[in-house]
Amino acid sequence: MLPILLAVMLQTPAPSPSPAPRVRHVRPPKVVVNVDPGDDGRYQANVDTTVTVTRGARLDLNNFGGDITVKVWDKSAVRISADNSDRERVDIDVDQQVVTVRTSSRYGAPHMVSFDLTVPAWMALDLEGTYTDITAAGITGDITATTVQGDVDVTGGSGHISLNSTSGSVKLAKAQGRIDIVTVNDGITVTDTKGDLSAETTNGDVELRGIDADNVSATTINGDITYDGTIKDAGHYSFSTNNGDVNVSVPQGANVAVTASTFNGDFDPCFPITLTGSHKHRFTFTMGTGSAKLEMESFGGDLKLCRPGEVGKHHNGTKDKDKDRDDDNE
Amino acid sequence: MDRWTEQLSEYLDESLPRAEREALDEHLATCAECRETLDELRRVVDRARGLDDRPPSKDLWSGIATRIGSGTAIVSIDRARAPARSTRRLSFSIPQALAAGIALMAVSSGVVWLSLRSPASGQQAADPGRSIDMPAAWHQMDSSVDPVVANLRKTLQVNRAQLNDSTVRILEKNLAIIDSAIADARRALDQDPNNNYLNHHLADVVRRRADLLRRVSTLGVRT
Repeated sequence: MLPILLAVMLQTPAPSPSPAPRVRHVRPPKVVVNVDPGDDGRYQANVDTTVTVTRGARLDLNNFGGDITVKVWDKSAVRISADNSDRERVDIDVDQQVVTVRTSSRYGAPHMVSFDLTVPAWMALDLEGTYTDITAAGITGDITATTVQGDVDVTGGSGHISLNSTSGSVKLAKAQGRIDIVTVNDGITVTDTKGDLSAETTNGDVELRGIDADNVSATTINGDITYDGTIKDAGHYSFSTNNGDVNVSVPQGANVAVTASTFNGDFDPCFPITLTGSHKHRFTFTMGTGSAKLEMESFGGDLKLCRPGEVGKHHNGTKDKDKDRDDDNE
Repeated sequence: MDRWTEQLSEYLDESLPRAEREALDEHLATCAECRETLDELRRVVDRARGLDDRPPSKDLWSGIATRIGSGTAIVSIDRARAPARSTRRLSFSIPQALAAGIALMAVSSGVVWLSLRSPASGQQAADPGRSIDMPAAWHQMDSSVDPVVANLRKTLQVNRAQLNDSTVRILEKNLAIIDSAIADARRALDQDPNNNYLNHHLADVVRRRADLLRRVSTLGVRT
């Protein structure tokens, strides 16, 4: 690595003795809200302001702590309502491309500030927090939501949807597009969603229902995985857990080659199948033409294959895991 | 690894001489284990091809330059004018492909960690749980990963002061869950060292551990 970096440095041209004249790009004026304190040194408390935006602009909000709630309206404007005290500064920077919202505190670490935002449905969202629950509904654009300790709950979204938490559940409903979901210490629930989907957690269940996708990947270490959705020709569906069950639905008439692997569990299809291969802990069989690939893996749990609507709901063991996760957050 | 298995990668790449390919075709027709190994290799290559070639989410160079003593030099790379990358064909055996994937991930973890934190003392913690009965490829793979994992574990210790106690507890608990899964997989592999599923499973869980440790690095900066 080091030699490569040094080589790149050596190839960098030396500074020109007479620098070329700078090109000044003319940009529309920015609107900056609430940056300066008043005469008494205090900032505006309970910020509630509305700024107009042009179509295609996105919202970029980074909040240390406090909830973020986003809903939509039919105006080309963004309403930003915060419950900050006069010690917390809320910076709102608006230009043609992005509405940027940041918080800071006059003294020490940032405090908790909750935001209620109302935005045009088309607006792309980039929301980030540390101790933050994030809720968004009705968006039809891209959504990126990232938190450390908090839940993410999104209804809607299209294009690229990336939802990320460390210690919190992630729920997504009625979305469409390319979807990436990661959490660590809680579960993932996706319902009535269309598009390629990747869901990954460490200590939690993954429940995917009403999915319409060509490619789906779901992994957990300690939890169950449930998939109830399409199995499309040439699609790829991969479900893997270490300690938990994998429940997958396969519609009648699906063309799919199935590989089911478990070390300590059982493979239990709800309907008759004809195995084409059985090698120690791995079972393979083909339905129809075998165009799609379905991989089910659990080191210590059972694998169940059923018809749509028949795959299991949560069992008792999940409750224990949920309680365990709740205890962590106390 | 027998002569048939050694030829599977070239077979997959369609670069095997015709006579050898026909001989292997005949052998595959009678060897279920070889067919399974071929399927496994195909899956690994498919996954490798599916990896995103993403640019870094932030400029790491300034941090790296500082650490290698180049002061404030900034190198600007114009991606739009960079020459297009040639497409390379992937050609790995299963252990090579798995090892390459883990090593690549480990190196990227190291770069992120290096750019965000001071370099560690250079001490490399040994993994007391490492099985000496692992197949050779796996032993090598662990050797390449463990220094990074050890460094990232140190990062967790360094970052403790910046992270909420609850967050630290959660991360440590989840690392323990993954470590337990790795230990389980290794014990199973000790009993069945040539089991494709177990090899694949262990690779996945080891990757997950590094992913989680890498996440810790970024959390320390954010919180």
